[in-house]
Amino acid sequence: MDWTTTQLVGKSLPNGQDVKCRDRESAITKTDQGNAAKDRTIQISICGSTPLLWRSVDIKQSRDEVGVIGTLIGSLARQPRQNNRLGRPLEILKEEARLLLETGEATDVRHPDKSKKVSESGESHLNAVQLYQARLDRSYEEQCSLALEEKKAVLHRVMDEKQNSNEGPERAVRERLCSLEKSFSFPRSAMAVQLCTARAGFSHCPEELAFLAADWPEPRDKHSEARFRVYKDLRRKGFYLTAAGKFGGDYLVYPGDPLRFHAHFIALCMPMDESSPLSDILTIARLGSNVKKTVLLCSPRDPSDSQVEGDVVYSSLQWSGMV
Amino acid sequence: MAANDGVPEALQVLLSDELLSPSELFKERSRSHKIPVKGQKEFLPDGSDQQRARLQKSLDEHWTLVAEERVERLGNLVSAEWIPKEKLVKLLSPAGKFWQTMGFSDRGKQCLLPEEALYLMECGSVQVFYKDLPLSIQEGYECLLSPETMTLHQYQVFGHLKRLGYVVNRFDPRDMQSKQLKRKRSQSPGSRLCEKQSATTMEQTTVEGECKGEVQIREPDLGHVAPEQGTTQQTSQDKSMECVANSDGASARNWWTDMSGQAQAAAAQAAAPRWDFSCIVFPDLGSHRANSATLAAPDPSLLPGALEVGECKVAHWLRKLNLKKERLSRRDWERQRERDRYKRDINDDREVRRCRNWMEYLDLMEKRRSQQHKERPAHLWEQKVTPLTHPGQCISHRELLEQISIIPSCDLLEGASRLPWSDKWRICFNVYQPDTVAEFKKSHPGKPYTRLCVCSFDGPVPDLCVIKQLSILSGDVPVTFAVVDHGDISFYCFKEFKLPTDIY
Repeated sequence: MDWTTTQLVGKSLPNGQDVKCRDRESAITKTDQGNAAKDRTIQISICGSTPLLWRSVDIKQSRDEVGVIGTLIGSLARQPRQNNRLGRPLEILKEEARLLLETGEATDVRHPDKSKKVSESGESHLNAVQLYQARLDRSYEEQCSLALEEKKAVLHRVMDEKQNSNEGPERAVRERLCSLEKSFSFPRSAMAVQLCTARAGFSHCPEELAFLAADWPEPRDKHSEARFRVYKDLRRKGFYLTAAGKFGGDYLVYPGDPLRFHAHFIALCMPMDESSPLSDILTIARLGSNVKKTVLLCSPRDPSDSQVEGDVVYSSLQWSGMV
Repeated sequence: MAANDGVPEALQVLLSDELLSPSELFKERSRSHKIPVKGQKEFLPDGSDQQRARLQKSLDEHWTLVAEERVERLGNLVSAEWIPKEKLVKLLSPAGKFWQTMGFSDRGKQCLLPEEALYLMECGSVQVFYKDLPLSIQEGYECLLSPETMTLHQYQVFGHLKRLGYVVNRFDPRDMQSKQLKRKRSQSPGSRLCEKQSATTMEQTTVEGECKGEVQIREPDLGHVAPEQGTTQQTSQDKSMECVANSDGASARNWWTDMSGQAQAAAAQAAAPRWDFSCIVFPDLGSHRANSATLAAPDPSLLPGALEVGECKVAHWLRKLNLKKERLSRRDWERQRERDRYKRDINDDREVRRCRNWMEYLDLMEKRRSQQHKERPAHLWEQKVTPLTHPGQCISHRELLEQISIIPSCDLLEGASRLPWSDKWRICFNVYQPDTVAEFKKSHPGKPYTRLCVCSFDGPVPDLCVIKQLSILSGDVPVTFAVVDHGDISFYCFKEFKLPTDIY
C-alpha cells in the first residue's frame, strides 16, 4: 500500500485493457513510446473546480493502485434514465487529485479554461475528419457483411430444421438463400455507432494536453492542508475514504472496499490550534450515534511538535450509556 | 491506414483505447439492459476467501458497467451541431420524443440549450457534432458546461431530476417581473401619495390645512413616516407639492408655493416651529381675574390695507359667558373631591412633612404603594423593566400570548420587496412533476411544482434575508434548495409555519 515507491516506467499496459477487447488498430497510431507512456498515467480533467476521471482504465488504476474511490456522477451507459447506479465521469476529491499528482500516478491535468488554446491547422483538422469518416465507412462495410452472415446462418438453421422434419418446401428456403446476396439490404441507418464517453482522440493535438501539475490553481489554505494530511495518513493506514458531506463530516472511513463494506468512521478534520464550541462536538456526536458510526476527530500534528512529519492525532467519539 | 499515411509525424492522432471495433459494435445490439442488483454489504473484512471472491465479483460487475460504452443505431440518433457563439445546439435532423418537454424553435430551426443537449447525449438520443466531428461526453462536459451556460453542480441537479422523470427548465426572472412591479407600487408611500393628491381638490385643502401649522404631515398612511422628520418629510412634501402643482386651484397653489420656499429652508434639520408662542398671547377671558379685561389693539402691520382697530372692550362679551359658580350634584361633588384629594400638593400631606430626609420619604411612598397594589411587588413593577402582564389580566391564551409577545409574528414575505438585492443567490430551475409530462406544453408550462436554487455545502447557509428574497421572486411557487456535495444531492425547503395561539 505504500504508493510512494510505485514505479511507472516499464509497467505493462494496465489491466483495464482486459475488461474489453480493444481495437488493435489504435495501436498502429501510437508510434511514439512516449505517447504510450502518457497513456499509462491517469488523466485528470477539471470541470469548474472539480477534478474528474473519464477513462475506465484511469478509474480502475486509481482504485487498484492508489485506493482512490470517488463518486460516479454521469448517466450509466446501459440504463441512462435511473439514479441508482451512475456512470462516468468519476468525481474525485481535491485531496485525491492532489495525491495522484504528487505521487506521479497522474501527470496530466486538463483544464478547459486554462489550457493553452492551440488552434489546429485547417489541414490537420481536415485530416482528422477524413480519418473519422474512413472509420465510419469501414465500420459500415464490416457490419454489412456481419449482418449478411447472420442472416445466412439463420436461414441455414431454418433449412436444417425443415430437413430434419422432412417437410416439403425446403426448396423455397434454398431459393431465398441464393437470392439473399442480391436482395439483402443493410441501410446505413441500421449501422451501430459508438457515442464515446471519454475523448475519442480524432482531433487531438499533443501540445494541447495539459500543463504542469503545479499550475493547478487551488488555494492551499490551512484547512485544505489539514484535510490533505489527514487523507494521506488514513490512506497510509489502509482505509478507504469517500466524501461525507451528508454525514456532517469530511470523510467516511471504510475498513475495506466501499463496494462491499460499511463505513466505520466519520472523520472530521480539525486543525490543532482551532477551538470549537462544545455544541459542535455534541452535534457531530449525536449524528454519529444516529447512523451507528464512530466519529473521528483528526488533527494533524504541528510539524515542529514531533519528529515524524505528517503525524495525525485521532480522537474517537462514541455515545455510551452509564450503567 | 490510408488516411494517416501522408501526414507529418507531429500531427499524428492518438486514438482512444475505448473505441470499439465494428464486430464489437455489431454484438452490442443485443446487449442486456439489466443492471445487476448490489448485494448486502458486510461489516468487517476478515481476510477469508469467500469475502475476497464476493468482492472480486462485485468489482468485476462494477468495471463491466463502468467501462461499457454507448452504442446506438445510427437511424435512432438525432444529429445536432454545437454553436459556441450562440451557446446553443442546433438540430440537424428532426427531434424525437424529447421535443415535447425540451428544446425551442429559433428562426425555424429546432434548438436545444447546452444542458439539454448534454443530457440527451448521455441518454444516447442525440449525437452532437462540432466542426464535423462528434463530441464525446467528455468534450460535451468541457464545451457545453461553463460559467456562462451552466456550472457542473447545476448540471448535476438538472440531470438527477431529468433521470427521475421531472421536467426541468431554466428559470427566467423576467417571467415574474410584471407581478413584481405591481407589488412594489402598492407598497411605496411616495407614489401612493402622488396618486392620492391628484384625485380630488378636496384633498388639496386638507393638505393645505396641514401646512399652516408646523411642517408635519399627519396623513394616516404616512403615519410611520411622520415621526422621522427632516428628509423623509421633505421628499414626501416635495412629491405632494409636485402633484398639487399639477392640479387646479390658483389660490391654493400660491399659498402652497409660498410655504414651500420657507418650508424647504426650515425642514433641512428637524422642522423648527415658525411661530414664537411666547409672543402670542391668548387672552384669558374666563377666569375670575379677568372681570375688566380689555384686549389690546392688534398690530396694524398684521391687518390688511389701512385698517385700524382700537381696543376691544370685552365686558359685554363676558356678560354672555356663564360665570356662575358651579353647583354640583352630590355625586359630582364627591367625584370632584376624590380628584381634588389626589390633586393636593404633596407638601400639604402631614405624613410627608414628618419625613426628615429623602430616605424616609421614599419609604413612605413605598409603604403606600405596596398597600395600594398588593399584587404588584415593587421589585417587579417599580423597576425600569416591568412585567408584560399580571395575573388575571388576560382571559384566553391568545390574549395572553399577544400581550406578552415582544416579537410579533409576521409573514415570510413581509418587507421582502424592500430588501437589498444580492447576486449570490439565484433561482436556477423550474421543476414540473413527472405525471404532467403527457399534457406538458412548452408554450404554456403552467405553474411549476417548485423552483430550485443550487448551492453546495462549501458555501454559506441561506439566511432569512435570502429566503425572503427568493420566495418573493418565486411568487406563489415554493423554493427548494438543492445542495450538491461530491455527487450527492440533498433537497431542502423552508416552510412557513405559524405557531398555534389558542385551541380554536
